[in-house]
Amino acid sequence: MRALGRPSTTVPLILSLILVPLTVVLAFWWTGDDVDQGFSQKIFYLHVPVALASYAAFGYGAVCAALYLWRRDPEWDLRSYVGVHSGTIFGTLVLLTGPIWAKASWGVWWNWGDRQINVFLILFLYYCAYFMLRFSLDEGERRRSASAVYALLGVGLIPLSFLAVRIAETLIHPTVFTSSGAAMPDTFFLTFLVGLAGMLSLMALLMSVELRGKRAAARLVEYQRAARGEDA
Amino acid sequence: MIGAALALARVKLVLELRRREVVFAMLLFVAATIVIVHFALRADEGAGPRAAAGMLWAAVVFTAVLGLLRAFAAEAEEGALDALLLAPVDRAAIWLGSALAQLGFLVVVELVAVPLWWLLFFQEGGPEPLPVIAALLLANIGIALVGTLAAGLALGARTRDVLLPVLVLPLAIPLVLAGVTATYGAFGEEGGGFGPLGPLGFLALYDLIFLALAWGTSEHLLGD
Amino acid sequence: MQPPAVTLEGCSKRFGERLALRKATLAVEPGETVVLLGPNGAGKSTLLRLAAGLLRPTAGHARIDGVDAVDAPRAMRAGMAYAGHRSQLYRGLTARENLALHARLHGRALDLDAALAAVGLADRADERIDGFSRGMLQRLALARATAHDPVLLLLDEPASGLDADGRALLDGALMDGHGRRTQLVASHDADLPARLGARAVRLDAGRLA
Repeated sequence: MRALGRPSTTVPLILSLILVPLTVVLAFWWTGDDVDQGFSQKIFYLHVPVALASYAAFGYGAVCAALYLWRRDPEWDLRSYVGVHSGTIFGTLVLLTGPIWAKASWGVWWNWGDRQINVFLILFLYYCAYFMLRFSLDEGERRRSASAVYALLGVGLIPLSFLAVRIAETLIHPTVFTSSGAAMPDTFFLTFLVGLAGMLSLMALLMSVELRGKRAAARLVEYQRAARGEDA
Repeated sequence: MIGAALALARVKLVLELRRREVVFAMLLFVAATIVIVHFALRADEGAGPRAAAGMLWAAVVFTAVLGLLRAFAAEAEEGALDALLLAPVDRAAIWLGSALAQLGFLVVVELVAVPLWWLLFFQEGGPEPLPVIAALLLANIGIALVGTLAAGLALGARTRDVLLPVLVLPLAIPLVLAGVTATYGAFGEEGGGFGPLGPLGFLALYDLIFLALAWGTSEHLLGD
Repeated sequence: MQPPAVTLEGCSKRFGERLALRKATLAVEPGETVVLLGPNGAGKSTLLRLAAGLLRPTAGHARIDGVDAVDAPRAMRAGMAYAGHRSQLYRGLTARENLALHARLHGRALDLDAALAAVGLADRADERIDGFSRGMLQRLALARATAHDPVLLLLDEPASGLDADGRALLDGALMDGHGRRTQLVASHDADLPARLGARAVRLDAGRLA
């Protein structure tokens, strides 16, 4: 593996350890209860940042994919994979916490009128397919190229999905949240930002840990092959 | 590049004309799917516009996926893909030529499927045909472009036949959303703030974005 | 166009768990003919595909005139021909149509009748090739590989399935190419190098002798 620099694990770890508990503290003790949704609205400070971190990870995965196709350095493919993987893990969290919030707020487990979750569903399905694609190909150049192309196409899908759901709103009537709209009070917004920073740190931590693990595994395979007298 | 793509598309259309494997299967499939979805929704005679619009689009998307499964079948038989990869043409031509052929198959299938759908559900009334046809054409382009790319990606995969639908269907969801909205709007119902222009514009945008993305990345498709 | 030099430097290729080619180093001079000999599974096909740029090496380089084969520009690919184990043809098309497509993709007008006659397929030119025997497919593949007069010819066991006439045609084509083009041919025929006056190179279990 070429040395592209080791992504730090310490910085994200420290940031996460500070910011995530801070978010919880702020959410419960600093911000007041939401006028419409009451106490259950508080999951918003974690749920939405997890979703946004997920998008960020997919975006990172796409950027690394483009870099791989340009440079052909397997390190970029590894980073791209880690990005998509972490994004999907967080995505699973979104889809788990989403219904909890929906049940608490609207009394239903799934709300088709929730624009964000519809978009997320499309993208989640898409990125799950990434893994199916990747692991149905044998390890090597083709797997890396195909994964990279697919990760790149995904970023095209993100804005298009938002737009499509928006356009389809004649058919799906959207539920509008007042507390998560632009009219949010300052305390809510600040807590949200802390939550976002915390989730991004957690995401960075997850990615750097996984990247290290994957690199170590790859190196191990290289050594094993060298030990067997194979040259590549 | 375009010339080579057209030559390839012509070859694939000629092959289909001679062997008639794919299009007939797609025709039967689309008819069966419309019937199944109709029964599944238990829509009564004169299904509401929503159900009817939904049925058409669901059937079209699944039928398109069926056709895509055979996207590179002719090349696979005798290894013609190697010849295409080595030829002095952009790899994008391989993708585009196949996509054009897929588009052709879809259009042919819809020439039968849409009148059939009309006949089955609209004894009187029915949507304005123009927006529906426009939506279908634009969506066909989109699904042909991304679907062929996905077919190329899946070429070396062990699980190619199950993999391809999994890759294509999420990409097709925005097309279905917009297509159904356009179809629904064509009934003169209370549309959204955009009317039929919104969904049609979206479909065109989808096509443009994925045309650019697919063209740019098809260089890395196929081969090893 | 001048015939190119083909060089493999420390070329290794891995397919999953299997290492098909190990640190292969080979230099083929411009206009030279080299015959690759070796048992089944030795890696001859892999080597040829690497030289053609159809595969990317796991390690090392495969170069044509100094350029990585996988990145060969269009002008270079226009002068190349590769015939592998499969005929690379479209079954539902006729022999003539297959060659016509080949010509179209190479952007050249080729004398299809002459090309078909040269491999003895003139009378079957307008039949769909799904009725062809293996030997006829091989002949058509040979026609496809030589019709555009390439300067680099890569052939993988081109004699398999050919009758005596077919083999004579093949030998003729290879002799004709001597000096005019760079030729790399994988074969089971141990007498071929002598007949062609070509260098023989042995491949065994992924290693070049």
